[in-house]
Amino acid sequence: MVDVEIKEKLKEGILIFDGAMGTMLQDSGLKLGELPEILNITDSKVIIGIHKSYIKAGANIITTNTFGANEIKLKNSNFSVEKIIHSAVKNAKIATENKEAYVALDIGPIGELLEPMGTLTFDEAYNIFKRQVIQGVKSGVDLILIETMTDLYEAKAAVLAAKENSDLPVFCTMSFEADKRTFTGCNATSMVMVLEGLGVDALGVNCSLGPKEIEPIINEILNISKVPVMVQPNAGLPNIINGDTIFNILPEEFALYGAKFKEKGLKVIGGCCGTTDRHIESLVKALKDVEIKYNKYSPLSCVCTSTKSVIIDQVKVIGERINPTGKKIFKEALKNGNLDYILGEAIAQVDAGAHILDVNVGLPEINEEETMVKVIKEIQSILDVPLQIDSTNPKAIEMGLRYYNGKAIVNSVNGENKVLESILPIVKKYGAAVVGLTLDDRGIPSSGEERFRIAEKIVKTAEKYGIDRKDIYIDCLTLTAAAQQEDVKETLKALSLVKEKLNVKTVLGVSNISFGLPNRDILNRTFLAASLFAGLDLPIINPLNKEMMNTIAASKVLWNEDKGAKEYLKHNENVSKEQEIAAKDTNDIQYDLFKVILKGMREEAKIVTVKLLECKEPLEVVNEYIIPALDVVGEKYEKGHIFLPQLIQSAETVKNSFQVIKDKLRKGTNDDISKGKIVLATVKGDIHDIGKNIVKVLLENYNYEIIDLGKDVSKEKIVEAAIKNNVKLIGLSALMTTTVKNMEETICELKKIKPDCIVMVGGAVLNEEYANMIQADYYAKDANESVTIARKVLG
Amino acid sequence: MNKVPQNKDEVLRYLGYRNQILDKVTNDLIEELMDEMRSLIKVRYIYKFFNIMREEDKIYLSNTNFCLTGEDIKNHLDKSEVCALMAVTLGNSVDAKIRYYEKISMTKAVILDACATTAIEELCDILCEELKEAVQKENKTLTSRYSPGYGDLPIDIQKKFLTMLSAEKSIGLTASSNSILIPRKSVTAIVGVVEWENNSIKKASCLDCNKYSNCMYRKGDGRCGN
Repeated sequence: MVDVEIKEKLKEGILIFDGAMGTMLQDSGLKLGELPEILNITDSKVIIGIHKSYIKAGANIITTNTFGANEIKLKNSNFSVEKIIHSAVKNAKIATENKEAYVALDIGPIGELLEPMGTLTFDEAYNIFKRQVIQGVKSGVDLILIETMTDLYEAKAAVLAAKENSDLPVFCTMSFEADKRTFTGCNATSMVMVLEGLGVDALGVNCSLGPKEIEPIINEILNISKVPVMVQPNAGLPNIINGDTIFNILPEEFALYGAKFKEKGLKVIGGCCGTTDRHIESLVKALKDVEIKYNKYSPLSCVCTSTKSVIIDQVKVIGERINPTGKKIFKEALKNGNLDYILGEAIAQVDAGAHILDVNVGLPEINEEETMVKVIKEIQSILDVPLQIDSTNPKAIEMGLRYYNGKAIVNSVNGENKVLESILPIVKKYGAAVVGLTLDDRGIPSSGEERFRIAEKIVKTAEKYGIDRKDIYIDCLTLTAAAQQEDVKETLKALSLVKEKLNVKTVLGVSNISFGLPNRDILNRTFLAASLFAGLDLPIINPLNKEMMNTIAASKVLWNEDKGAKEYLKHNENVSKEQEIAAKDTNDIQYDLFKVILKGMREEAKIVTVKLLECKEPLEVVNEYIIPALDVVGEKYEKGHIFLPQLIQSAETVKNSFQVIKDKLRKGTNDDISKGKIVLATVKGDIHDIGKNIVKVLLENYNYEIIDLGKDVSKEKIVEAAIKNNVKLIGLSALMTTTVKNMEETICELKKIKPDCIVMVGGAVLNEEYANMIQADYYAKDANESVTIARKVLG
Repeated sequence: MNKVPQNKDEVLRYLGYRNQILDKVTNDLIEELMDEMRSLIKVRYIYKFFNIMREEDKIYLSNTNFCLTGEDIKNHLDKSEVCALMAVTLGNSVDAKIRYYEKISMTKAVILDACATTAIEELCDILCEELKEAVQKENKTLTSRYSPGYGDLPIDIQKKFLTMLSAEKSIGLTASSNSILIPRKSVTAIVGVVEWENNSIKKASCLDCNKYSNCMYRKGDGRCGN
């Protein structure tokens, strides 16, 4: 079996890849703009010739000429992905006939960026790669090389497509800049964590840089990668001379670096842009006399997103607030799909110092699998904090892990065989870390020793599934002091045992300790401190609770983790600043809500509203202060007395005021202040949505309930939302001439299926005339005018 | 290209400012977000000169299969034998931060967006100045920039345009299936190389623009583009 052979060779020796294909093709006269992959069919001799020259130079693996052979890049080429890949593999096979060389299916980036940066969905990317992999396997490649990736999420889609649709070895490299980040901001540690977790056979760096600039990145990777490391540098940094790109490093110098890399423990070496068969020839010669070294790998407990890795070498805080248990507003938000509320919780926790966020969206009346994916995607589109997927539903965990960008934690498994068997394979497949609760079918044992035994079982079983110790976090479980006082100590005992004997990281939710007792804070803090000294690495807490965060900061000083109390000092500096600001705020406060809104004093709005509500009914505040102020602001904007940021600032001030009012309404009578629902969307193909979002802020202020469908929304989705919510007014936005067509189609569909609905449109390319032409009922020239229209239509 | 973008007047113009009272809060916010923009952007650019070939109604770039269609680009490059394709991007971070601010403060989102838009234009100006210096040796200068999607130059040449510059590999710039540049704060443009005396003929005029009747930027004295 070739795949076993390759894996064996990786263990014992070094594999040499070929050099550049593009450079060789340009030398043989490829016109700029022509797809090099088409030459597989139209000029196969040239391709075979290049392959042969690399084999002659001594490469063990040659790469098919299929870097851009995906359906997006081949779209206007008259050739199918299958046909190109088949021809490319055939060419490579002809070249390797009777030679000892393997054929790697080359897969480059799609050429379009994935969400949230771009518009391609993860599934679309996966399917594009899948098509390439399936044909590669059919045509008989020996391994799959995914290379020059700059987006870790895209690399993940490609690796999953390769692993799920073939049994071949998978190698994956990404392309970094000298600052050790890819174009999209991915760092080397995150890359290693994710690719290693997904089970690639080799990982590393290619393209962009020469061997000299790549070296520091390789050093970082070698330290932490359990998987063989590969490198394919360019022949130096590109120099642009007369518009042509020239690479300066000569074969001999390139080979010297190769030898150095081998000494460091690299297992796979080849070339990228600018390298030729002569580079590979020199490389092969130079490597012959270098002895293989094994790299000094030190296991790293780390979770990450593509741009941020959180290394668990010290206490790190997991924020617990994304969880509907016992929270009425949160439940409502989940049921209504109000993700803004959930995002608010996420942002607040990160601002307060959380390093990782727990995400729990389990509610009986919602589809947990779908919601988990939606919430994860939304959080990841605005924050780079790693997440802990918290669920008992294996399907929801799997969906969460699949669409998560990075390496996540799964919360949780326990000592029950059934649970271990159903969840550990998923954890392994997606390369996550996992929390193990020290309980089993008999419940939570009282004694620390027994909890330790369950932990031991979890660790052993997880290792059997191929999950490393560094990725297992044990939770010794907090019991309430009010009910099981004598067991509190047992938790601490178990913690110490686990730490000492199993050498794994530990995690613990602490606030349960005080349930049923008064002054819970002091109990929580005391128990937290005790747990930290017993060896707790990952407290799960509410980071908005300053005292808890202070306890952690203080414990880190006393435990000698915070060297020189640096963090502590900084933390306290911030505390005194905050106090100053708070003191100032209450001193010179402006108590007239009308003026507060006009001046756009966001922070004051809440305090003033609370004050007003002491003597006025919520609706009085709305009608006597807010609406008149908003009208004045709108008029001022209309007349050009204020400009856009001032308008929005006032609008957001009102938003803060409304938060207070809505809280009051929730508590008291069920006065509904909603004036009706409006659907907003930026149409299919368009992703400019800042204008639409301004409209949303303004309309919400007038108490219209906004169903925001986001950007790039299909007409079907818009119609569906309009019908489902029985919405009378729909606002559509488009900013490009090319997407106005989609707007027109959406209006047509809406009028057909829901004839009573009214459509207002806006966006840079539109005007009154154009809006009429596409059958819109109203044209809003700016956000302010959308309010006038909404008042006309909905009152 | 290592200058730092800093044109506050332009930021204000993008925000629709027409000499209203600029209160301290708003002013401070603009200053703060200009600083933030400068810390977020990672400017990358690439350009390449091409000889122009004319065939019937079309313009080709030599040694490529890239064709520019439409009357407007034909007029724009009327006096040029050589043109440069250029692409400039601010990178992903500023997009991500705008997305973030849209969730917590639209005011900040709108201002940061305007700062980034100003910056990308300013950087394009700087690059064009550098290119002008390069062609000055031959006693030539450059026309204004013309981008895919302007006038009747189709926006769907965007992907092909990027290929001409290997922009995906060299500066991480891509286009979506609907030809939107990603990262969002990016510009692609064509500039013609012309003799000095033809220098002034190709100034963009608001009258040629399809937004003429309802452009918020025109109402003041400012003009968009070049």
